[in-house]
Amino acid sequence: MKLGLTVVFTFLLSITFSQKYTISGSIKDATNGEDIYGASVVVKELDNVGTTSNAYGFYSITLEEGEYTLIYRSTGFENQELKISLTQDLNYNIELKMPDDVQEIAEVKVNAVKENDNITSSEMNVTRFDPKSIETIPVLFGEKDIMKTLQLTPGIKTAGEGNSGFYVRGGGADQNLILLDEAPVYNASHLLGFFSVFNSDAIKDVSLYKSGIAPEYGGRASSVVDVKMRDGNNKKFNASGGIGLISSRLTLEAPIVKDKGSFIISGRRSYADLFLGLSRNEDIPDNTKLFFYDLNAKANYRISEKDRIYLSGYFGRDKFGLGDAFGFNWGNATGTLRWNRIINQKLFSNTTLVFSNFDYEFTIGEGDEGFGVRSSIQDWNLKQDFSYYINSNNTLKMGVNGIHHTFKPGALTGDNETFNEIVLESRYAIELGAYIQNETKLGTRWNFMYGLRYSGFSYLGGPNKYEFAEDGTTLSSEKTERWTTVKYYHGLEPRLSGSFIISENNSIKLGYNRIFQYLHQLSNSTTSSPTDNWVPSSNNVKPQIADQIALGYYQNLNKNMFRISTEIYYKHLQNQIDYRNGADLFLNNEVEGDLVYGIGRAYGFELQVEKKKGKFTGWISYTLSRSLRQFDQINDGKEFSARQDRIHDISIVLMYKINKALAVSANWLYYTGDAVTFPSGKYEIAGTYVPYYTERNGYRMPDYHRMDIGLTWYMKERKRFEHNLNVSVYNLYARENAFAITFQEDPDNPAATQAVQTTLFKLVPSITYNFNFK
Amino acid sequence: MKHLLYLLGCIVIISSCQKVIDVDLNEADPKFVIEANYTAEDSTVRVKLTYTSSYFDASAPTTVNNAAVVITDHLGVSQPVVSIGDGMYELTNYVPLFETDYTLTVTQGGVTYTAVSTMHTPVALEDITYEYYPAFFGLDPGYVCDLNFFDPAGVENYYVIALSLNGVPDTKLTSLFIQNDAFSDGNFVTRPLFKDEFNQVGDTVGMELRSVDKVTYQYYYEILSIAGGQSSAAPSNPANNWDNDALGYFSAYSNSRKEVVIED
Repeated sequence: MKLGLTVVFTFLLSITFSQKYTISGSIKDATNGEDIYGASVVVKELDNVGTTSNAYGFYSITLEEGEYTLIYRSTGFENQELKISLTQDLNYNIELKMPDDVQEIAEVKVNAVKENDNITSSEMNVTRFDPKSIETIPVLFGEKDIMKTLQLTPGIKTAGEGNSGFYVRGGGADQNLILLDEAPVYNASHLLGFFSVFNSDAIKDVSLYKSGIAPEYGGRASSVVDVKMRDGNNKKFNASGGIGLISSRLTLEAPIVKDKGSFIISGRRSYADLFLGLSRNEDIPDNTKLFFYDLNAKANYRISEKDRIYLSGYFGRDKFGLGDAFGFNWGNATGTLRWNRIINQKLFSNTTLVFSNFDYEFTIGEGDEGFGVRSSIQDWNLKQDFSYYINSNNTLKMGVNGIHHTFKPGALTGDNETFNEIVLESRYAIELGAYIQNETKLGTRWNFMYGLRYSGFSYLGGPNKYEFAEDGTTLSSEKTERWTTVKYYHGLEPRLSGSFIISENNSIKLGYNRIFQYLHQLSNSTTSSPTDNWVPSSNNVKPQIADQIALGYYQNLNKNMFRISTEIYYKHLQNQIDYRNGADLFLNNEVEGDLVYGIGRAYGFELQVEKKKGKFTGWISYTLSRSLRQFDQINDGKEFSARQDRIHDISIVLMYKINKALAVSANWLYYTGDAVTFPSGKYEIAGTYVPYYTERNGYRMPDYHRMDIGLTWYMKERKRFEHNLNVSVYNLYARENAFAITFQEDPDNPAATQAVQTTLFKLVPSITYNFNFK
Repeated sequence: MKHLLYLLGCIVIISSCQKVIDVDLNEADPKFVIEANYTAEDSTVRVKLTYTSSYFDASAPTTVNNAAVVITDHLGVSQPVVSIGDGMYELTNYVPLFETDYTLTVTQGGVTYTAVSTMHTPVALEDITYEYYPAFFGLDPGYVCDLNFFDPAGVENYYVIALSLNGVPDTKLTSLFIQNDAFSDGNFVTRPLFKDEFNQVGDTVGMELRSVDKVTYQYYYEILSIAGGQSSAAPSNPANNWDNDALGYFSAYSNSRKEVVIED
């Protein structure tokens, strides 16, 4: 590897022989010292020359000797200009100021440089949100939820009400790589999916990539959601929080040593169970528990001008219990230890050690009668990344990583005499990745990002190795040795995205990616459940492979006031997993025998019109798409609609700032009902009518639509204190959307059968109070 | 899984609602349904032949009264099961031999359907115990009965359990319980059987513990997941022991029974 790197470096360095100098440094937010990710550095005198800051605020640009004006800018900040005389390498650390009044962003400064990143960057299909920009969007129970807001953009579909899972471009809910400070989050939902685990107060940036995914990411077939935690205010102490109907939250942040290091700690706890206690309802047993909590913590410290250490962690848990009778809890824990080093002005290194754990447990009864079931998945990941800012036209990134996975699919333990203790075999695997990518500018019109990822997956010994017949019966099982490779899969994953800038107002982009996915989630219910186990690829389970090609056209109108993006895509999926009829996914060592494999394809057209500036902002998005699957063992081998095969999907999000004190917002969404299996007949068994099915997912749920509205009142600001009140109504016109439709006997007439629709939320008002001590 | 639904219930108790709706369903071609049981307790084979009907059709299903139904034991000796009308066929005084296979064939419309089921030795129901439960999510307080039995060690056992209340058996599909010994082989098994309502003092509660074969257990496991309004992500017709695509099942089973009167 080392030799390889040297060769590549020597080759690339040899291109840059003329007299050139580098300007590098960091870009920060002047108010709190937070690094700004994705800030642009543009050279006024040159066309299509510039760079962007990386996730740690670092930028580097290399130019020929000369006089230049650099313009630093980022959404929500005032632009800053810097005149430089480049006769030697320079270092400038920049702090961007926020305008005094947020509203002024619209009126001032916008024309200093063109605000058309969306046109000029080669990055396509990235959806990026800063939690602040969406704080007025109405949400269920007033609980700000960045994952829910992502689902209002094209190509990203909610898995349904009461479900924070989501589908990207026809892929499955387990095909999204959700990263929190580089640590994978295996179950991103609370309260069985009503809320996501991401506490907006602790989040700096969320980016969702749906095609042309960069080689630095791998492991999930459909998308990457990269969530970055805030670093904490390194100028002064700050406390902020909110009190809502469902939960309250508090965030504390302060410098460790001013301008050298800072920490942030943010907690959230729900209290629906306290209301249950207050209601004194005799039907509800004492000691009923129903809550979740989250803790995000992060600290960073600059040990030298060139070295910086970060430690961040997340810990969250849901607990549910009915007295001693029943308990159920689950949660994620992640930790990231990171070392940034600026090796020289052009070379940036990031070394990371990542830990991630997800586990669930349910218990029934107590003492002699009690028993419990536990399951977990745990990862350790060591990662080394380099960014090499070769010159103003090329940025090279490369890296390697290795993950050790431990799966504990389940254990039944307890003193209960009825049950034998059962501990399913732990399973182990090592997942390797290595990538190299280059972002390049060719002339003033072409931008490319191209690269290659190598991924390998070693399914390790330890558990028995099973072999199954066609029909799923076990043929053989043999012991294997820990730390031996039972099965090795690997593959090359080419990635490409490119843009052609037609003019400063429009461009065309193209993206292609191939991704291998080695972990698979088994789920047997309509809602996502924490008990949906992850399984590794093995001698029986092959990795999923996704190939996607996408083409987009982007147009900005009216001085970048409106952004229109249109994209089409086609995705081919191999080795998709489903299970045989009557599969037993619970505490089953031989679960792989119940799995069947097929292929999938998804294609669609996406349109978004967005208004980013002014008092009135928002977007309209429309997706026309299909998502189909084919399995030899299902539906007589005929292709069928995936559950998420929603043909039309529309979201409208509007935000209007009436004046300094008031902002209103509204959103409306509509989508074609999910593909579902309904009976086409019935017959009687043991005195009960049971449904007779003829095809998989041959029917549709009723179309879904609803409107939400919100009002945010920014109350009078004191010198060191600001606060606001947010009132919202979810499902304003009380549409009875179907959560489920069940087919059953008519309770009043056993000879008749009926279809019953369950609706979860009709008109849910909520109120949240937010404050900030500066 | 039921507990998860309770949890969901808790969360949405404020605003969720249910209503009966109209759904436009396709008409499928009628399929042949064979429901057949051979009960050791009364040495009787009972077969019911019907066709599927439209889902919302409230009239009685079409029955078949002119099929040839034959049961064959492990030695190859056959006996006819005769029509007694209304789609029902019966053979009485047919004494079982435990741990042997029985084959049932049904010939209808030129097609012969065959299924095999194993008659297992009965497992004794040891005792019925009960315990008091306070009010619970809308249920009045009362008693829940526990099934108690010794599971034979070293063999796979599969059970179906039916309850009766004050002498009236409740053998409706959705009232049955199923049990296997994957996690409890060779143990003394105690299992509370929760019904829609708790029992009260003075009730006579009866239990019937049926020893069924694996394919019958699997059939009940699958059919219970689609009957009674349960919704799974990908419902499908349960796998069964009939060939030629017939619906239904053939189960040879033995059983044991007990009763208890609930006292204060």
